[in-house]
Amino acid sequence: MIEIRHLRKVFDDDTIPLKDIDITINDGDVISIIGPSGTGKSTLLRCINMLTEPTSGSIIVDGQDITQRGCNLNEIRKKMGMVFQSFNLFGHLTIIENVMNPQITLLGRSRQEAYDKAMYLLQQVGLASKVFNYPDELSGGQQQRIAIARTLAMDPDIILFDEPTSALDPSMIGEVQSVIKMLAKSGRTMMIVTHEMDFARKISNRILFMYDGVIYEEGTPRQIFEHPQKEITKRFIQRLSSLTYRIQSADFDVEAMNDELSAYGEKLLIEAERLSKLSVAFEEICMNNIVPESGDDIDILVKVEYSEKLDILSMLVCYKGVKFDVTTSGSKLFQNLLAEPTTELLQTDVTDDPMGYEHMVTMRFRWVEE
Amino acid sequence: MRKIAAIVGLLLCLAPIFAVGEFTTIEDLNGHDIGVQTAVLYEELIQDRVPDTTFQYYTMPNDMILALQSGKVDAYLIEEVSYGVQKKNHPELTVLEEPAGYINATCIIGENERQDRLLSELNQFIADSWENGLLDELYDYWIADFDPVNDTCDVSGFTGENGKIAVAVEGGYEPFSFISNGHISGFDVDFICRFARAYGYEPEFYEVPFEAIAPGVETGKYDIGMNIVVSAERNETGTLSDVYYTTPIRLVVMGESDESQSFFQQLTESFNKTFIREGRWKLFIQGAGITILITVSSILFGTILGFLVFMACRKGNVFANRLTNVFLWLIHGMPTVLLLMILYYIVFGSSSLSGTWVSVVGFSLMFACSMIDMLRVGCNAIGRGQFEASRAMGYSDGQSFFRIILPQAAQHFLPIYRNEVVTLIKETSVVGYIAVLDLTKISDLVRSRTYEAFFPLIVTAIMYFVISAIMTRCVTLVEKKINPRLRKKDKILRGIKEQD
Repeated sequence: MIEIRHLRKVFDDDTIPLKDIDITINDGDVISIIGPSGTGKSTLLRCINMLTEPTSGSIIVDGQDITQRGCNLNEIRKKMGMVFQSFNLFGHLTIIENVMNPQITLLGRSRQEAYDKAMYLLQQVGLASKVFNYPDELSGGQQQRIAIARTLAMDPDIILFDEPTSALDPSMIGEVQSVIKMLAKSGRTMMIVTHEMDFARKISNRILFMYDGVIYEEGTPRQIFEHPQKEITKRFIQRLSSLTYRIQSADFDVEAMNDELSAYGEKLLIEAERLSKLSVAFEEICMNNIVPESGDDIDILVKVEYSEKLDILSMLVCYKGVKFDVTTSGSKLFQNLLAEPTTELLQTDVTDDPMGYEHMVTMRFRWVEE
Repeated sequence: MRKIAAIVGLLLCLAPIFAVGEFTTIEDLNGHDIGVQTAVLYEELIQDRVPDTTFQYYTMPNDMILALQSGKVDAYLIEEVSYGVQKKNHPELTVLEEPAGYINATCIIGENERQDRLLSELNQFIADSWENGLLDELYDYWIADFDPVNDTCDVSGFTGENGKIAVAVEGGYEPFSFISNGHISGFDVDFICRFARAYGYEPEFYEVPFEAIAPGVETGKYDIGMNIVVSAERNETGTLSDVYYTTPIRLVVMGESDESQSFFQQLTESFNKTFIREGRWKLFIQGAGITILITVSSILFGTILGFLVFMACRKGNVFANRLTNVFLWLIHGMPTVLLLMILYYIVFGSSSLSGTWVSVVGFSLMFACSMIDMLRVGCNAIGRGQFEASRAMGYSDGQSFFRIILPQAAQHFLPIYRNEVVTLIKETSVVGYIAVLDLTKISDLVRSRTYEAFFPLIVTAIMYFVISAIMTRCVTLVEKKINPRLRKKDKILRGIKEQD
């Protein structure tokens, strides 16, 4: 069990990444720390094993305050694994030595014992065939899996993950996440700083939302992601899961919206082709039809959402005035799009909308690999 | 071999282009370049008569012969006695009828507690020797009838009851001081030996370039400096003895050449003079030994010192880092010769540390500075992540450094280290300035005896090349030995039974 009380960190340049942190980490907890960049997530993690020395406050590990002078930090750290964003495998050692040597040097295991343990763990992370390679000969995903094996070899009580997938290509995130998931299931105590919301939701039992140097809101994944209580949490969670646009003039910047769409797609791993379909539908419905019909009184609300669980990309368009039946569109391209089996269309009229919208169009795009 | 022969040919072809009788009076030389030895101040004697002339300064008298032959100067100033010696080896030289002037040579006495006593004793000896004809006798023996091969002086029989005296002589300046049969000899040496015997001293001779004699004596490093030409300026700073010889100064120009020897004969003769005669090859071996001693010790001490200082600064102690940076700045920003002279004359001025060990101190300091820089560059190249990862696992600070950072940093700085070793070997060639007889200084001394440039220079160059080659090879071996990537699989898995 780790208790953190009134933890505060002030850097030399007077920025205050941690203002006042209070938290208790119980054995078996899998805690994800989320929040905007620069709010102290990584600093908190680095304070827990004293890589960054806190300015004040206490960190009590198994009854011992490790912020006190005279505390044997090396012994404490042997029980705390840390996985870094940039892997930090030892460049002059082979993979097997990276996993083996710390056990020999720090835990006093025999070479044979250390080797057996290392081989077992490397098999677990699927890299037993790379034991004589050097770190720089492997991909980022492979290096991070080895870094995890190296940490596990020390039999730590807790593992701290500092953005373990941020430095990886999108194609390699999955392999590392599945190793971490496996560890979460086996009941290890872990703390993870991450920007991958879906991943955090799936593996954690507690989510800490950090904002401005404090733990702004804390709860189960369901509480934080589905029913956030505080304003900034709400905004953060929503901004992540959907894009909303309000069109109030014919000069609406379609290019800027497309740029945002592709960034959104990149983050959530949505296929570019599916996004371009959404783009075509948006231009046909909103820019080519509703906007010209609305005259001077343009007010259209567009919301783009992606559900990772169902793998559905959807677009909701709400507007006022004359109703436009989407199926009557004269665009050949759009008609083809509608005819595809992966596209769904729903048109409804609404009443008593607080914003005064009268009509609603929902389009859903699914994806089927050919 | 053919290449070497070609170079020899080329050098010999650079022989004299003359214009006999072009210069007959001193005024004829106005506007032409005239060579003069650094610090002898002979140029002051004729400056007014040749106002448009540029004076070129040379450290060794014999370099001026080469300068004259290759047309770099049109004449040079030298004492008649030295000219006599040079003429024997270079019959093509001639002099203007009118001497440029006369010089009165004195000794300079070191500024230490013995100064007054030595000065009065030496002046007494000089006065007595003029009176009983000893100085005239010495002048005839060493100067007027000089025989470079057979003239010897007695350097023994000292009682030493009044202690030792350190005597600075040029060492490459026939017939006043020169190396003959591996020992120091000449007029100055003979004179001082006689003085020492008469007054119960034991002389120790130091071969010092002319320009370094006066400063060395003034700081008290040497008790007596020889062959100091009297001038007003000098009298203010040092304490000079009475005059112990007077000789005219000549202007040497090119005369008629006498090339009767064949090319091959010249070559054999030159080789013979440089290496065989008087067993001079031993001097070369001895010089190479000194060069190797200085280099190897400096590398060793410098590496250790640099490493220790780096370790002291590593944790970012502000005071230690600032102090180190000031030292780095001072030592890196100073010419090597200057650093050595400061150490020799000022820092260790009053200690009895020999020039060789002062050089070792100087070069160790310089190498330590390079070492600190190399370690800094190497460790910075490794990145903070490696250190953090090892600390986070529970490695102590020392373990992180020695097991994780240093092995990786070494791969970055060893190639630079190799270059620094080569640079150091070459830099040691300036130690002659502080009376160390290293390879370069030996080569200079031999050249001053033989009037030959080719063999001493080429052989010295080859010897430096061989020393560098051996040392670089050693560093390369270490580099390979500690390169983790060149390990074999069974070394990595030493003591482990592999799984199936």
